[in-house]
Amino acid sequence: MKNKKFDIVLFLTIIIICLFGIIMITSASYIWAEYKFNDPFKFTKNQSFFFLIGLFLMCYISKINYHFYYKNSNKLLLGCIILLILVLIPGIGSIRNGSRSWFGIGSFGIQPSEFTKLALIIFTAKYLENNERDMKSIKKGALPILIITMLIFGLIMLQPDFGTGTIIVMSIIGLLFIGGTKLSFFVKIGFMGLIGITSLIIMAPYRLARILSFLDPWKDPLGSGFQIIQSLYAIGPGGLFGFGFGNSRQKHFYLPEPQTDFIFSIISEEFGFLGIIIISTLFLIIIIRGFKIAINSKELFSKYLAFGIMFQLSFQTILNLMVVVGLIPVTGVTLPFLSYGGSSLLITMISMGIILNISRYQK
Amino acid sequence: MFFKKIHKRIKVIILIILFLFVLIIGKVFYIQVISYDKLNNLAESLWSRNLPIEANRGIIYDRNGLILADNLTTTSLVLIPNQIKDKEGTAKALSEILHVSYEDMLGHVMKISSIERVHPEGRRLDFEIADKIINLNLPGVYLVKESKRYYPFDTMLSHTIGFVGIDNQGLSGLELMYNDYLTGSYGAIKYFSDAKGTRLDLSEVYEQPQNGVNITLTINSELQKSLERELDNAVIKYKPDRALGIAMNPNSGEILAIASRPNFSPSNYQDYSTEEINRNLPIWATYEPGSTFKIITLSAALEEKIVDLDNDTFTDTGGITVEGATLHCWKHGGHGLQTYLQVVENSCNPGFVNLGLKLGKETLFEYIKNFGFGSKTGIDLNGEASGIMFDINKIGDLELATTAFGQGVSVTPIQQITAVSAAINGGILYKPYIVKSLNEPETNSVIMQKEKQIVRKVISEETSEKVRYALESVVTNGTGRPAFIDGYRVGGKTGTAQKVSDGHYMVGNYIVSFMGFLPADDPQIVLYIAVDNAKGVTQYGGTIAAPIARNVLLDAISILGIEKRDGASEKKYNYLDKKYYEIPNVIGLNSKEAIKLLKNFKVEFSGTGNIITYQSPSAGERIYEGEKVRLLLTD
Repeated sequence: MKNKKFDIVLFLTIIIICLFGIIMITSASYIWAEYKFNDPFKFTKNQSFFFLIGLFLMCYISKINYHFYYKNSNKLLLGCIILLILVLIPGIGSIRNGSRSWFGIGSFGIQPSEFTKLALIIFTAKYLENNERDMKSIKKGALPILIITMLIFGLIMLQPDFGTGTIIVMSIIGLLFIGGTKLSFFVKIGFMGLIGITSLIIMAPYRLARILSFLDPWKDPLGSGFQIIQSLYAIGPGGLFGFGFGNSRQKHFYLPEPQTDFIFSIISEEFGFLGIIIISTLFLIIIIRGFKIAINSKELFSKYLAFGIMFQLSFQTILNLMVVVGLIPVTGVTLPFLSYGGSSLLITMISMGIILNISRYQK
Repeated sequence: MFFKKIHKRIKVIILIILFLFVLIIGKVFYIQVISYDKLNNLAESLWSRNLPIEANRGIIYDRNGLILADNLTTTSLVLIPNQIKDKEGTAKALSEILHVSYEDMLGHVMKISSIERVHPEGRRLDFEIADKIINLNLPGVYLVKESKRYYPFDTMLSHTIGFVGIDNQGLSGLELMYNDYLTGSYGAIKYFSDAKGTRLDLSEVYEQPQNGVNITLTINSELQKSLERELDNAVIKYKPDRALGIAMNPNSGEILAIASRPNFSPSNYQDYSTEEINRNLPIWATYEPGSTFKIITLSAALEEKIVDLDNDTFTDTGGITVEGATLHCWKHGGHGLQTYLQVVENSCNPGFVNLGLKLGKETLFEYIKNFGFGSKTGIDLNGEASGIMFDINKIGDLELATTAFGQGVSVTPIQQITAVSAAINGGILYKPYIVKSLNEPETNSVIMQKEKQIVRKVISEETSEKVRYALESVVTNGTGRPAFIDGYRVGGKTGTAQKVSDGHYMVGNYIVSFMGFLPADDPQIVLYIAVDNAKGVTQYGGTIAAPIARNVLLDAISILGIEKRDGASEKKYNYLDKKYYEIPNVIGLNSKEAIKLLKNFKVEFSGTGNIITYQSPSAGERIYEGEKVRLLLTD
């Protein structure tokens, strides 16, 4: 069955965007790193290390036939659920940024929720293939997988990590959507969500104000509006061409931890609108080529798997960008490839390895 | 078939993703391009720390461009506590230089603020102290430019110009009234810093301060100096409670000079009482005007044609009885039979009472009101009073009678000079003003020019001419004689008003005044002088105020370039007066002939010989009898 080379354009684009990410992490973080760790290249070194491992894993995994995941999907998901439970136990899991979502290994941290994202997609892809006929029925098709998803969502919310939880739920809904679930089901979910949100707002009207506070962050510039204002202060002055590489001002302690969630702001500040167009183009190349691989895939399982991975990546990217530009409230989601973070980079590159492998078996 | 359905839905998802990317890029475009200016300004104020640079306050000029209020450049200390690493050392060094306690200075250095000033010890530093601080070369310690108000003529015009406080804010006078114009806006040296206040290695931005608007006054400094000098002399000579003077251009309402005694030094305003500082007497003081007010009664009577100055007569027996009360003339026994011109010349009270009664209360008070009494003139100075008039419904003949010669009404000097200007300028009442123009700070080009402003026409040109004629006659032949200047046609009126205290007239305590103008045929300047409670002298307007006015008017002749006049009404001399004589031409004559021709003068010869080749003053000049004429003799 092995007959083709993988998608070389996708592979190179991933390399380029990751290298650009390391460069931007260097620029964004050296002030913080020097201040916090007395080592301006602390974050650069860590990210480079994970990039090299990720690159190796991506190449390696691109050679592992994806049927491997089909066979081991249950074990993978079970392992992740166990890790998700373990991480909640004080002493085993450690708290970073207010969430007990890390296993500390030396100075590195591993987030089991990141691996769960992938494991659940594999599990769902297999489920959808096996239950192809039942997908027209909500009870037999969508409901069981949604129950598992909500269980995992519950575990993640115990950490709590709302951002990752949302991504997981959304990617399963995306999979159900293409898996043949009736459209009326999504209308119903949306309607129920609307009723839920409305009743929450009626019960406590201040929630509406909080949700809508992102529309005018200057109402509470030192509280809920702080991050978004600092982000806008980075993006805005960047203008069309930016201040130039290394010349961001917001990274000088104005924007907290500029190498993580808000790296896009720093890119905007240093490279301006032009830089944003280039970054967006790179993302769109990856996303569109990924979805094409899904479409051109011959088997149902690989189609679902590729779509699930790409949908998750797209959703996370869009979620991060919309937060950073002030279109939605702050959720605490990193930008794939670009934000600093070992687990996130590793799992993204592993996912891309799977996509690359699927790209070998095209029509 | 099933694949087709999946692919359709995947394509829907791709379209949604593309749409969201467009939305995000659109939002970025909106942030970076549409709201660029707003965000950039906000962000820049977040990143930058400003070292403020004070703007120069607007300069105040006189009408000829002479500077009356200027700025001196000084420096002030500014601390940026975040940048000061060695807090103790810095505090110690600065406390020694500035003579501030170490604890206080440490407080400033440790303060959690982006910019800290040491007030007042660190403000407006002397050059030596500034130099010492510069030499320390301490991080986070800066000296910034500040300007300090400077009044080159010190006490001159002090009440009118006013003064400023430590932050250069106007506190009184024009400095207060025009504070918004005079105050510029701060500039800054902007440097960029991180969120912890540490200076970043980015270039500084210099923002030029916007200097305040300059003001040009209608004041003529030369005339002002003359008035100030004469008031100073009067203070030395008479030790009065108060003294004041105003000079006005009667044809526009421009104030040419204005002064008060006591006055103050605006740089040291703290050393004076608030009364001394705040009372700009020419616009603030209200008192009974006395006989200068007769000009108003005279103008009304002439306009109403109830009197012919040269042909109507009045017999003054020394008093006149109105409603059972006898109003005395100032001259014991009265002036006897006089024409009304003589009534004016003699300032005869019963004569004016008669004019007032003939006019009737409605008419006289209508004129008084039209001349601007009882309400503020609206001069562009603060602290103006409006004076007190009788309530028209409570006026009987007695009140009418006293008002006619200037008693029982209370007016301000500015009201009087404005009204008299109208009486002699052809009948037009102008609104007095002192700010001539506002000028752009860099080029001094005019931003706003004030023009003369007519309030109303009060009397006719013909009446005004008669008033001038009568008042010239007062100076030539009457009570105003001490103000006479030969050849320049001075008109005027004296005034001696008793002061009222607790509802009674005070004994031996008068405000003596003189209202004068020249030339009488075409007045270019009106001058009002008042001296309150002069000591050691008989208090008459003619004896005290008129000579002061004469000295100022003499200066005004040369300052304003007023031409010598012909057709003056001839002066009638009394035995006290020195006479003027015209010097004949003696050049070419011998010494004996010359002595004969110059019999009215003292003659001094120089040189040797018989023939006179030079004489000083030259022929045609008029000098007092007995004054010296120098002649040069050659062979």
